[in-house]
Amino acid sequence: MTTRGRLSLLLAAGLCGLAACRQAPPGDPDRRIVVWEHDDASVAPYIDSVLAAFCKLPGNEGVSIVRTHYHTEDMRQQFQTASIAGNPPDLLLSASDAAGIYAISGFIQPVDGLFDLSRYNPAVVAAITQDGKTWGVPVTNGNHLMLFYNKRLAPRPPRTTDELFAFCSGRAPKLGLGHCLAFHLGEPYWLVPWLGAFGGWPMAGRVPTLDTSAMRQAVEFMLELKRRGFIPGECDYNGMDALFKESKVAFIINGDWAISTYERQLGAALGVAMIPKLSRTGRWPVPMVSGKYFMLSSRLQGRKLALVKRLVEFYTDEENQVGQARALKRLPALARANSARTIQDDPNLRASLDQILVGKPLPMATELRAVWDAMRPLFGKVLSGQMGVDEAVRRMQADAETKIREMKE
Amino acid sequence: MISSLLQVARFVALLALAVAALEGYLHYHFTCYGRRWFVPASAAAAAALACAAALLFTGRTAGQVLCSVLSAAAVEAVAALVFSHVVRGRHGLPVMLLAPGLIGLGLLIAYPLAFEVYLAFHDLKLTTIMVWSRTGYIPFVGFKHFVKVFTASPLASVTFWQLLGRTLWWTFINVFFHVTGGFGLAMLLNSVRRFRGIYRTLLVIPWAMPQVVAILAMRGEFHYDYGFVNIMLGRLAGHLPWLAGWGLGPVQWLGRHALLTCTIINVWLGIPFMMVVILGGLQSISQSYYDAAAIDGASAWQRLRLITLPLIRPVLAPAVTLGAVWTFNNINVIYLVTGQAGGSEDADILVSALYKAAFTFYRYSYSAALALVIFAVLFVCSFLWLRFSKGSESVYG
Amino acid sequence: MARTEAQAAAAALAAFHRKAAARTVLTHAVLLAACLLCVYPLLRMISVSLRPGDRLMSTDLSLLPAGASLTSYLRVAKETNFLLWLWNSLVITLVTSFIGVSLAATGGYAFSRFKFPGSKLGLTLLLGTQMIPAGMLLLPLFLMIMRLGLINTYLGMIVAYSVTSLPFSVWILKGYYDTVPRSLEEAALVDGTSRFGAFYRIVLPLSTPALSIAFLFNFTQAWNEYLVARVVLCDAQKYTWTLGLFELQGQFITQWGMFAAGSLLVTVPVLCVFLYSSKWLISGLTLGGVKG
Repeated sequence: MTTRGRLSLLLAAGLCGLAACRQAPPGDPDRRIVVWEHDDASVAPYIDSVLAAFCKLPGNEGVSIVRTHYHTEDMRQQFQTASIAGNPPDLLLSASDAAGIYAISGFIQPVDGLFDLSRYNPAVVAAITQDGKTWGVPVTNGNHLMLFYNKRLAPRPPRTTDELFAFCSGRAPKLGLGHCLAFHLGEPYWLVPWLGAFGGWPMAGRVPTLDTSAMRQAVEFMLELKRRGFIPGECDYNGMDALFKESKVAFIINGDWAISTYERQLGAALGVAMIPKLSRTGRWPVPMVSGKYFMLSSRLQGRKLALVKRLVEFYTDEENQVGQARALKRLPALARANSARTIQDDPNLRASLDQILVGKPLPMATELRAVWDAMRPLFGKVLSGQMGVDEAVRRMQADAETKIREMKE
Repeated sequence: MISSLLQVARFVALLALAVAALEGYLHYHFTCYGRRWFVPASAAAAAALACAAALLFTGRTAGQVLCSVLSAAAVEAVAALVFSHVVRGRHGLPVMLLAPGLIGLGLLIAYPLAFEVYLAFHDLKLTTIMVWSRTGYIPFVGFKHFVKVFTASPLASVTFWQLLGRTLWWTFINVFFHVTGGFGLAMLLNSVRRFRGIYRTLLVIPWAMPQVVAILAMRGEFHYDYGFVNIMLGRLAGHLPWLAGWGLGPVQWLGRHALLTCTIINVWLGIPFMMVVILGGLQSISQSYYDAAAIDGASAWQRLRLITLPLIRPVLAPAVTLGAVWTFNNINVIYLVTGQAGGSEDADILVSALYKAAFTFYRYSYSAALALVIFAVLFVCSFLWLRFSKGSESVYG
Repeated sequence: MARTEAQAAAAALAAFHRKAAARTVLTHAVLLAACLLCVYPLLRMISVSLRPGDRLMSTDLSLLPAGASLTSYLRVAKETNFLLWLWNSLVITLVTSFIGVSLAATGGYAFSRFKFPGSKLGLTLLLGTQMIPAGMLLLPLFLMIMRLGLINTYLGMIVAYSVTSLPFSVWILKGYYDTVPRSLEEAALVDGTSRFGAFYRIVLPLSTPALSIAFLFNFTQAWNEYLVARVVLCDAQKYTWTLGLFELQGQFITQWGMFAAGSLLVTVPVLCVFLYSSKWLISGLTLGGVKG
């Protein structure tokens, strides 16, 4: 075949392809909502069921909702990229830590005028409020750390750290447990409750407050736990999880997202309690509390905005909030729903609620990310014995300030 | 299922159309350049096409249509002139063969690269994103970011030069062990007679497994409590207490020796590739060389040095070059082993620090500048290496 | 005299055989150890997939864990869209590989047989594309694909994948073509075929080994790719297996049993493709380099 013959064959094939390219026009964009979420895969069926129920409501004919799942880090990048490109999703169902970034970049809109925020728990609203504006509608309350224990190994949870230490030195060796308490040593999120118990906090407003005596005491407390063999030498999330599931440790400190998993695994042997009060200061550890929120894209307006508003209100009405607690074992954000029988009758959920009451809101500020990144490696170095406490704490503060400055300049 | 097949078939047809159009255009320009009507006819055709495209696809105003028609005619006239006076139909076939690939590469690499260069000279970061996405404007800052790359550091704990040094060291150590390990295994494999297929099959597994899965699996083996390495060390220390006295016991691999752990994992991943390359080279050395050497009484070491090494060099050089480039830019291992929650910064090399700066702190312009600097460093290094190693002979032929 | 000489010779031969046997045993031992090192993590993944309770870690080193069950495999097949992901991956990967190999075959031939201005520069630039740090091009790539309207389409994926494996494939094929003697094509030209015809009818059929390698390389790269797929695809029906499987990883909670089972199910076809063409792999990778 000649060159020309070959070329004309290619051309013909291409024209056929082009002709076949005509596709059906898309549906009415005003009735199509795109939701992105980054929750665990086991939560997806519940979310889908509520979205489907919304579509079946009278007056919502022709409404379609598309839910896309992303990994946490991916969702942050993708939302940023999609917003820059002008094609963002309509709703985000996400935790609050990235909200600060979206707010500064102008990709989400404040919801103060659109919803009645007094219906929701004040603490969970506070975690998404910055500079007087609220940037999201709360869906669940929590995302906080608490104490999980194995009733078969420890019938009653310790109320104070002295009781915990007594168990660790006394009962635990008798039960053959190598360690009695485990938690994720790699993430500073797990250090914060103890920092709070010593009277400190990572940030004051937008400024990092890491170089404090409370921080030094908290880090030394961790070292003491390690020295006395109460916690493993090196422990990450999967390690803590495995130890608990294998009943090799009596207590772990984990978050409310894990309640339903452990209930499935351990059944009635699972107990949930507050993190024990720090005996030497008499204060309860202060976990960071936030939750999951609906955030609205700043491009929403007019009819679409009204439709999305109805969806959010439906998702967070009392019936759905109680249903969510039953299905996902997470506390509702709606204040009225907290008194429902489903929650009050469940000892684990009640303990979770008690823990929230002594917690403080997770700051929404973008600077928090710099604080985590400053704390994480240095805390690791102290734990592995490569650096002294004093030097590490001082450098944490310096690093956090440097990173914040670099982010802004 | 069928619908996705149809969709794919449509796309392939579209691609075929594009390639055909491109080839037709080039063919016409390479064969008809001598005719007198060449330049005006080409310009007129381009004008007509632009007119049709503007009217059909976007329905713009008359002024815009005229503008696009005139510019298309002008561009095509210049191109036609170039083809008729400069190119004159030479090198027709190679250009036509390379055109689709090069245009695809240009589209997918040149445009993003140009965009990164643009970003590097402007200032896109968290506080300027909002303005940029609404108006397309970001301030011009010249060389500020390049200066910052060399003076400040993407990480808090090390300077840029330390990072560069660590990356070069990482590359050198990895490539060294890849080559020696691969060479050793290839020599052994070449000398056995039985089970060669089985050995080859099993030894290639780290390369054939999806890299993410392989890295996660290996990382699990270095876990403090649950990893195979520490469990074995612990048991050994239990059985041989006198060694435990010397410090044998479970090691905090990820906590204290992150870079060492990453190196071990990357070496494990990379040896099969080198082994396969070298084994092929060994198998193609004809036995007559060795027989002649045996007759001359050469020792095993001399045979290795004077026959084996020179003859596998043309195969080894491109593989080592590519391997070094890939290792220098290997973000997967470092990121998956240490970059996620709970990781340390001790193992970060240039590219992983770059990734963190860009996607954790939204310092897009700074990271664009850093990326260009990394690219330049790598380019210069490999250029020098190819020059001085004479391996380029086998590469450029 | 003769007998002692014969005895000495026999003794020397026996000693030589003993040394050779010892060397062989040692060789096999080392190779066996290396194989174990290579295979062990894979075996551990298998035990994670068989272990009940989504436990990634365990101090139990046995390969068949207590309470081993195939539930993870069944769950992956039934509860997720695993087969759909595999199908999507397969379609995209096969098309990409064919396009990539075609482009590389023609491109490598151009670099090998023709000396045109910019050919050396072109090869250097191809090497240069391998040096661009990954992930840096993601943002502009997304913007460009968005503007071309290729978001969430197979076409965007196919174009991106075909082009990224191009440099390595062109190098391999060019090296191979360099070893094919030009006399064959010259004979064909004398007989009256066109230049392209000579390539298509003579050189191409001879280069099946190198083509297989390029195909294999393209296949593996496209099959395992995550970053570009994450950027381009957002419709769950179009997910490749990398996107689908990583959905099982939550921020903290990961369904490890299913993840490991899925990973293994995905590795098996790749290993098979790999092993089947391993013959080509060995002979092809070298024929480009060794001269004479």
